[in-house]
Amino acid sequence: MFLDSEEERILEGYEGEAKARALKVIVKVGESLGASRLIKIKHAHISGVSYENIGDSGLEFINNFRLLGAKFSVPTTINPISYDLLDYNSIYGLKLSREYIRAQELILRALEDMGAELILTCTPYYTRIPERYNLKVGDHVAWGESSAVAYANSILGIRSNREGGPLALMAAIAGRTYYYGMHIDEERIPRVEYIVESIMLDEAEAGVLGEIIAGIHRDSRPPLVNALFKNNPSIKEFLAAISTAGDLAMAHIRGITPEDPRGEISERVNITIRDIERLLEERSPIGDVDIVYIGCPHASLDEFKTFIRMLEEKHSRGKARIIVSMSRSVFMEALSIGLVERAQNIGVSIVRDSCLIVSPFSRFNRDVSVVTNSYKAYYYLSRRGVKAYLARTRDLAKYI
Amino acid sequence: MRLSFKGRPVIPGYVEGEAIIVDSISFYGDVRVEDGLLPDGRSISGKIIISRRGKGSTVGPYILYALKSRGLAPKAILLASRSDPVIVSGAVIAEVILVDSLPEDIVKLTRDGDRVRVYSDGSIIIA
Repeated sequence: MFLDSEEERILEGYEGEAKARALKVIVKVGESLGASRLIKIKHAHISGVSYENIGDSGLEFINNFRLLGAKFSVPTTINPISYDLLDYNSIYGLKLSREYIRAQELILRALEDMGAELILTCTPYYTRIPERYNLKVGDHVAWGESSAVAYANSILGIRSNREGGPLALMAAIAGRTYYYGMHIDEERIPRVEYIVESIMLDEAEAGVLGEIIAGIHRDSRPPLVNALFKNNPSIKEFLAAISTAGDLAMAHIRGITPEDPRGEISERVNITIRDIERLLEERSPIGDVDIVYIGCPHASLDEFKTFIRMLEEKHSRGKARIIVSMSRSVFMEALSIGLVERAQNIGVSIVRDSCLIVSPFSRFNRDVSVVTNSYKAYYYLSRRGVKAYLARTRDLAKYI
Repeated sequence: MRLSFKGRPVIPGYVEGEAIIVDSISFYGDVRVEDGLLPDGRSISGKIIISRRGKGSTVGPYILYALKSRGLAPKAILLASRSDPVIVSGAVIAEVILVDSLPEDIVKLTRDGDRVRVYSDGSIIIA
């Protein structure tokens, strides 16, 4: 791999041991993938910060960099953690020991000491971060959080590979990542197009479409997707699904992705609404459910508003709990327009800084049933022994 | 039957062990960190994972690293596609052998429990 003189100096330790060690790993990963050089990044977003997910060995990994005196070289934000920092009890059923909380706090303190801004969300694109750091089409970043990577590449035109959690951490320290994959113009040009019958896909339908495409797409280039999405949250759910069920870092969505797909399509695949409906029906709840959940990835303000409005229109109410997870940034906006109060009036629990996936929710709620409009939430919850179901957003009201 | 395949040695090394076939692998979500078990109860610990491709969460590398610290990591990961950066960064920090770009046949023709030898030039022999 070609390294410039500044990068050589970093590797030799002139800018500290932590930075040298971080860059060494990036070079190693880059060389393994066949990258020819490094590229400077403008921002980093680190995933793998929930103690529930990374445990003691992850804590140690992060804390070792802090102990070496590591400092982030670029503006850096982080993903959700294992509980709601503003209210430990907002996630139903959690019993957290003092040691557990202390371990999570240690991860946070280490990241904060290195210079991270604790936005604690998987949707940095729904906060002021892109605006504040002037992230624009063509900019290079190193993001962990697979769904945010797919959103950055596909919707914002901001370029990132699917950096593994530790790699985003090291890229933040080194201020660079390897020049590979999504950073390169040609690698973003689609060759296979997926054409979806023209109906407006809602969140759950979009997620299932993402699952289907992730399952059949073999090309190393991103797919070109010709489909109509009902709203922005549907696009978010689609992108979260392709990066959960597969390893796609981007989908080129016709009419939405701010880049020219050029004309290199060599294969076209038709997907019918029937294909989507069949998979959705298989996962629909049969009877009552205990919990109705939206906000995986974290809800946007509009998504929250639409959901609350839908619930307000329903007059009778059963005993299902309703949970919405969102960033504290969206929460503050919702608070300022009276939306939080409206949500509380109809019994909606709001989870900030965390969610049902990265918290120990499933450890404490093995026998509960959850219905969600998020394929990603459905996927992870069902793998952890929760009875998880998928339903269209408009149908969620039925279970409440 | 003896099968041989040639892939690209991403994190090269020599190892031999028992095959475990997983259609696509996400260490986060698919592998339990306490015991290295898949949702279907099979163990990946000390095995050679043969998979079509990686998928899913960017938290995967931490899980692989944690498995390694607990002595529960797989011996090698063999993929029938170009590896995704998530798998590579996991293999680098956990020091697990990784060979990718293998033909899809390796997933179809190999069975759980088959003896596998992985060579540092990326050749694979299955007995």
